[in-house]
Amino acid sequence: MRNRLAALTLVFLSALAPARAQMVEESLPRDPGPLDFIHGDSYEQWILQSLAGDALVGLDPGGRAVPRLATSWKIQKDGAITFGLRDDARFTDGSPVTAEDVLWTFAELRRDPKASPTKRTILEGAEARVLEGRVWIRSPKPPGRLLVELARVPVAQKDHPERGSGPFRFVKEPAAWTFLRREHFLKPRIDGIRFRLLPDPATVLQALQKGWLAIGAPPARPLTPPATHRVVVQPMNAQLVVWSRTGSGPLQLLERWRQDAFPPGLLGQNARPSRGLWPESLGFEPQAIENEEVGPPRPPAVLKLLYVSGEAFTENLLLALRERARRDGFDLQLIPLEQALLVDRLRRGDFDLACSVVVFEPHPWAVLEYLEPKGPMNVTGWRDPQFAALAAGLRDAGGAAWRELQNLWARHPAALPILDLQSVIWVDKRLDAGPGVLGLYLGTPGAAGWRWNR
Amino acid sequence: MARSAAAQGAAVWGLALALAWSLPGALWRPAPAPPFPLQALLPAGLALGALAVAAPLLAWLGGPDLATRRPLALLEAPPDLLWAGALLALWPAAWGPPGQGGWLAAFLAAALPGEVRWLSAALPGEVPFPAAWGARVVRRARRLALARLVSRWLAARLPVWLTASLVLERMLGVPGLGTDWMDRVAGRDRAGLATWVAALALLWLLSRPLESEAIP
Repeated sequence: MRNRLAALTLVFLSALAPARAQMVEESLPRDPGPLDFIHGDSYEQWILQSLAGDALVGLDPGGRAVPRLATSWKIQKDGAITFGLRDDARFTDGSPVTAEDVLWTFAELRRDPKASPTKRTILEGAEARVLEGRVWIRSPKPPGRLLVELARVPVAQKDHPERGSGPFRFVKEPAAWTFLRREHFLKPRIDGIRFRLLPDPATVLQALQKGWLAIGAPPARPLTPPATHRVVVQPMNAQLVVWSRTGSGPLQLLERWRQDAFPPGLLGQNARPSRGLWPESLGFEPQAIENEEVGPPRPPAVLKLLYVSGEAFTENLLLALRERARRDGFDLQLIPLEQALLVDRLRRGDFDLACSVVVFEPHPWAVLEYLEPKGPMNVTGWRDPQFAALAAGLRDAGGAAWRELQNLWARHPAALPILDLQSVIWVDKRLDAGPGVLGLYLGTPGAAGWRWNR
Repeated sequence: MARSAAAQGAAVWGLALALAWSLPGALWRPAPAPPFPLQALLPAGLALGALAVAAPLLAWLGGPDLATRRPLALLEAPPDLLWAGALLALWPAAWGPPGQGGWLAAFLAAALPGEVRWLSAALPGEVPFPAAWGARVVRRARRLALARLVSRWLAARLPVWLTASLVLERMLGVPGLGTDWMDRVAGRDRAGLATWVAALALLWLLSRPLESEAIP
């Protein structure tokens, strides 16, 4: 009888005791800085903002716009979009998310010259107001493009750039960035996520093997995950791109070499040779360079390629490319530069060939950054008299207008991708988390859709 | 002599300031400067305090002979990377990540042997005197010599300790002052870097009165 009473007491007490929070332990390679929906602009900051904030729309795992703060939207004939806001969204202080907060966020981004350059570009030339209780936005951009880009602009509370309405509440700890579950319309099912700053890939590997991380990216070489983790390959709209300031001739050589330069063992799961000129992951058909006027240079010749130093995976692949060039009688000289010095050289146009990793936004308009006169990736001053007319015809993703534009680029391209990159991560087998086109975090529902298999 | 040393020091710090201010390079997208890691000041203070106490204490116990001891040289030889790697490998998985405690252990393991040798090598010889006068006098002589040395030693080594813990911080996942320094280089925060250099120059300036004591 006494034993039974003790057992009953134990059961009762265990039911009363709060369950210990099971956090998802993760790592960040760089310090994202404080959570700031107006000024924050880096990949790590995007992760923070996607957890602690809500944009008007989200992107589903397939890259399509889905409701988030907005329950619905209508595209009007003049290209303007109106959004109806949901009434159950709350900021972390409990106040509701209103159209006024949306307008303040947009206005602040446009007003402050130090605000996120990415968001400022998204909202360039846009007007926003409240019309019949709905948020009304018009932009010079096609509405299809604006809609998917707005998924990158989470809404902050008026006068509080650090306060969002997302599924997790942000808590800064001395050496960690912690997100705790809160009441939210996406109904998050994990208790929270804790990020530690681990800039060193070898340390991330060690932490994964010791079970200190539920999610982590191992170094880019063939490795077997520990028994507790599974391999998840995340799609990334990322490519290793080579720019040429000496015309498309060298790019024609690289187009040939990229097919057979890289041993599969060296590529592993992290990369595969690119096909075509623009990312296939954005829906573009592989397209070859079609420059009939200028042919590739003839051997022997020296080609100087600048690249970002310090990344062993990329350096090994470039060495393989150099060997491939040597077989054709070319001396491909690899010149390593620190990231910021390379960007400086690109900006000044002080290079023949230069390569860097480019991460595209998950929509086809992202490639316009190569072609637009002030596009951040138009480092060679590329221009074509037909471009403006063709760009004006790009209303929706896919279609003949995009094919025509790619054909125009194929006649005298300024850049060529040589590798399509993807991210290999190890995920705790007990954690049910699936990637989308934006990776694990940046889509909708993102981390709010994860759950522990207990 | 003193004036010439001061001019040389001022020139070096001025050059460092100019280099920090004119660091070449640009970013794809301008990013705000990283916030100063205020939370790292206390652990850094603890680490430096532990080092500032332990190194003179060991030098006092070991005397000038310690500087030539082979075991100390062997302990001094492994780089920070090795200490951090060994700590990570040996740290029991069930304890969770090493955190600040592990970082402090690795920092002392990496820094202490070198600092003890630095201090021991700077101690005056003890043979024939004061060794002939007995252990008590020897200890007193060491204490007096170390009392003269410690403040100068701190001024000389503090900038190194503050900024050279980067490897340990990266490997053990403990963001601190070394990481902050490198983040500002990578993010081309020229104003932040210049502030760092100015702060270290100020430290040098404050240690000048101590330096004049050493010059006959």
